[in-house]
Amino acid sequence: MQTGIEMTEHALADERDVREAYAAHSGELYGFAVRSLGDRGLAEEAVQETFLRAWRAGERFDPELGSLRTWLFAILRNVVIDLGRARAARPSVAVGTPEEGHEPLEQILLSWQVEEGLRRIGDEHRRVLVETYYRGRPYAEVAADLGIPEGTVKSRVYYGLRALRNALEELGYDG
Amino acid sequence: MTAEGCREWRERLGAYVLGHLTEDERAATSAHIEGCAACRAEAESLAPLAELLPIADPGQLTTAPAPPAELADRVAARIAGERRVKRRRRQRRRLAIGLSGATAAAAAATVLLAIVLSSPGTGAGAQKVNFGSLPDGVAIGATLQPRPFGTEIRMNVHGIRSGTLCRVFLRRTDGTRMPAGSFRYRYAGTEQAVLTSALDLSAARAVGVRAGNRTFVAPLRRSVGAEATSKRTTTNKEYS
Repeated sequence: MQTGIEMTEHALADERDVREAYAAHSGELYGFAVRSLGDRGLAEEAVQETFLRAWRAGERFDPELGSLRTWLFAILRNVVIDLGRARAARPSVAVGTPEEGHEPLEQILLSWQVEEGLRRIGDEHRRVLVETYYRGRPYAEVAADLGIPEGTVKSRVYYGLRALRNALEELGYDG
Repeated sequence: MTAEGCREWRERLGAYVLGHLTEDERAATSAHIEGCAACRAEAESLAPLAELLPIADPGQLTTAPAPPAELADRVAARIAGERRVKRRRRQRRRLAIGLSGATAAAAAATVLLAIVLSSPGTGAGAQKVNFGSLPDGVAIGATLQPRPFGTEIRMNVHGIRSGTLCRVFLRRTDGTRMPAGSFRYRYAGTEQAVLTSALDLSAARAVGVRAGNRTFVAPLRRSVGAEATSKRTTTNKEYS
């Protein structure tokens, strides 16, 4: 009889667990919230609401089904949709909400993952990818700018892509 | 070909999948990949990145927004509030289950207890009593509400030692007691406990609570009417 009464052990069993989860994941969650909501104040609200919902539903988290991080992102995703709806209901500020904006939320999540992955790789790797890919500059020009051989620019593009691949795996990209 | 031998080819694969090689370089690399399973596998694992890079906004790469430091405190404060709610719910569940066993044993009275978070309004026929002659700093109040099953008693207790067991009862006209359940006073603030007794409110002369080793009793009015919800202070000197 007593066994059904006690809360089962779960990932966010006490406030220390929440603090740890916050320390580990709040930066990423906030980053995605800012990216999708386009507003830091709303993003703070979203992160706060996410941890609150996670805490309330803590016993429903099953580590065998996925990581805590994945679970938190799933909650945040719903929070962002809710906040987007709430904002859409106030026409004066309903600009670029995830629901009715130009980019659907899944697309924003993917964009954020790639951007976050690019932020995580080394500066040298990111630099050559930005210069050669996003700015479309010739390798020779980038090499002259950086004072390195052209072959080194090429190899940095390669190692940069490898690092990005690994970073995306860490970020839960499963494509 | 060994991996070391492929190194030069490998290091071209980034530019290869991004379409940055000259036509000659691209053709040579393609030819190598045709014959080298390891380089082919590497090129295939990098190819999806060429599809992903366009969806990133390069303008987002320099700004890695960090949450403000005080957000952690705000989250912790909200959670602390939630924790109190959770504990009360848990306590309520525990008490409800614990008492259902007691109910089976004591068939004479249906006794349920719940600690509630908010107090729903009282209806017609309710009596509100404040216990008098209490020690300094202690306040006890009760609102009694006639219900089809008997009497609902909402106890407000303030200022007694945390953890004190409080047993609530109704006194019948013949002086005997009808238990209405018990609760433990847990918090520094005011806590409301909702208890029910099978005794009709009209058959009760007084409501009492035994807190630790002290008993406080407040008499009830015989008739409950229109002015029933007005405040009333009573004394307990003859009972304590």
